[in-house]
Amino acid sequence: MYQPMLFLHWKQARTFLALAVVAAFALPLLASEGVGAPRGVDVSSLDAYRFGFEAWLPFFPALAILIGMTLALTAWNWDHRFDHVYALSLPVTRWQYTVQKMLAGVTLALLPAVGFWLGANVAAASIALPEGLNAYPNELAVRFFFAILLSYTMLFAAAAGTIRTTMWVAGVILCFVFFGNIANDFLGYYYDFFARENVVLIVFEWMFETAGPFEVFSGSWSLIDV
Amino acid sequence: MNSAIELNNVGWKAGKSFELKDLSLRVPVGSIYGFLGPNGSGKTTTIRIFMGMLKPDHGEIAVLGRSVPNDMKKILGRVGYVPERPHVYPALTVGEQVKVHASFFGAWDAGWAKELMGRLHLDPDRKIARMSKGETGKLLLLLALSQRPDLLVLDEPTDGLDPVVRRDVLSAVLDYVSETSATVFISSHLVHELERICDWVGVMDDGRLVAELPMQRFKNGIKRLRIVGAPEAVEQIPFTLLSRQRDNGAGSMETWIVRDWESPMRDYFDGVGATVRDVIDLDLEEGFVELLRSSRPQYENGS
Repeated sequence: MYQPMLFLHWKQARTFLALAVVAAFALPLLASEGVGAPRGVDVSSLDAYRFGFEAWLPFFPALAILIGMTLALTAWNWDHRFDHVYALSLPVTRWQYTVQKMLAGVTLALLPAVGFWLGANVAAASIALPEGLNAYPNELAVRFFFAILLSYTMLFAAAAGTIRTTMWVAGVILCFVFFGNIANDFLGYYYDFFARENVVLIVFEWMFETAGPFEVFSGSWSLIDV
Repeated sequence: MNSAIELNNVGWKAGKSFELKDLSLRVPVGSIYGFLGPNGSGKTTTIRIFMGMLKPDHGEIAVLGRSVPNDMKKILGRVGYVPERPHVYPALTVGEQVKVHASFFGAWDAGWAKELMGRLHLDPDRKIARMSKGETGKLLLLLALSQRPDLLVLDEPTDGLDPVVRRDVLSAVLDYVSETSATVFISSHLVHELERICDWVGVMDDGRLVAELPMQRFKNGIKRLRIVGAPEAVEQIPFTLLSRQRDNGAGSMETWIVRDWESPMRDYFDGVGATVRDVIDLDLEEGFVELLRSSRPQYENGS
């Protein structure tokens, strides 16, 4: 069953995937063009070598998110269009169908990740780095793949359910942000902890930083580091 | 197993607008069962319920002797389904869609699929997005038949097709049935189309099954009677009275529409002092209309 699922997804996403592979290959190369000391910056500074590359950093997670989201949407596009009738008329259980579809998307996500890995390695090889700086093309490619996977998985799960389920999840998040802030302000009058800290911000900081699940987007995307 | 499909007191509600009310239905094994009803009467909903796509609020369902929804995987492996709306992937070619579909069915008959493709004039290299409605309909039938199903469920399979394609589709179904003795469940609002091929008929209206009987009985049993001197109150009649209407300006002449009529039943009228002037056969479409009219409460008082 995996093979037809992969084929169906490929037919749906192949044009986008071709563009995504090219973009993923080109992005580290474009970023590495800016590596080096910009005018007026002390060349002895190691940070100067990272300066040009860092200007491109926001594009790395952005591209990964775009790829992941598009793969998720193309995974369910036809099913939604035909009210899932075709899938439901096949002699497979719903969870089997969903898992196979999910795996097919993960397989396709490897293509831009491999493109990125090649691009990052070519870029790393083309830069003459001073003592104390190293290139991390493989690690960056793994991060890129995980970032695709995370955005793909989240939207895949949301798109797999009904619109009602998606609205429920979105509603719970919005309620947490809205009512969490109100509750935090209220508790701040009575407890010092809430006067000093914002629980909603703490939760979001945990999710996007340190060991949080979204750290893969917000962490270090540097090809070059100490 | 006497019934290929069996529904017992199945209920399903979609908001306030539509409801299936305690639907019970039996499709005999080996029959060609015509599922008639006007648009919006609940035919597609009923199909989606016994195909496991919708969960009923209550009731029991069995298809091919297995319980729905518990055994859906095994059931669907033996059911060929042609839905009301085409559901195939437009970016695929006919050949690709056939290959994808085949990979899900163990009993897939590749040789017959190829033969059907030629017989139904389908080009394997043609992209589905560029196909006409008739061609798509033929492809859906090819997919369903090549599974070698024990039960073929066709939801308005010829709706919107031209007469030539319609004939191709129906003859392919009949050929399959004659070879395999499979059960066919075919829903349609085109009464005359089912008249020729079905041996059982179920009639839906407003979420209720208003009649379920052998086609022969349905065809021969619904009559229009012209009666003189009919009694005001009718009791213990040997047939089902669907409607009665006094003729304008014709004295005591009345027109009755009756079901389950047989010639010896004239004796009933002799017994109550009435005379049957004419017994007129209704064609299936007229019978269908009269049956629906009699089943709707608002028509009972002639309103």
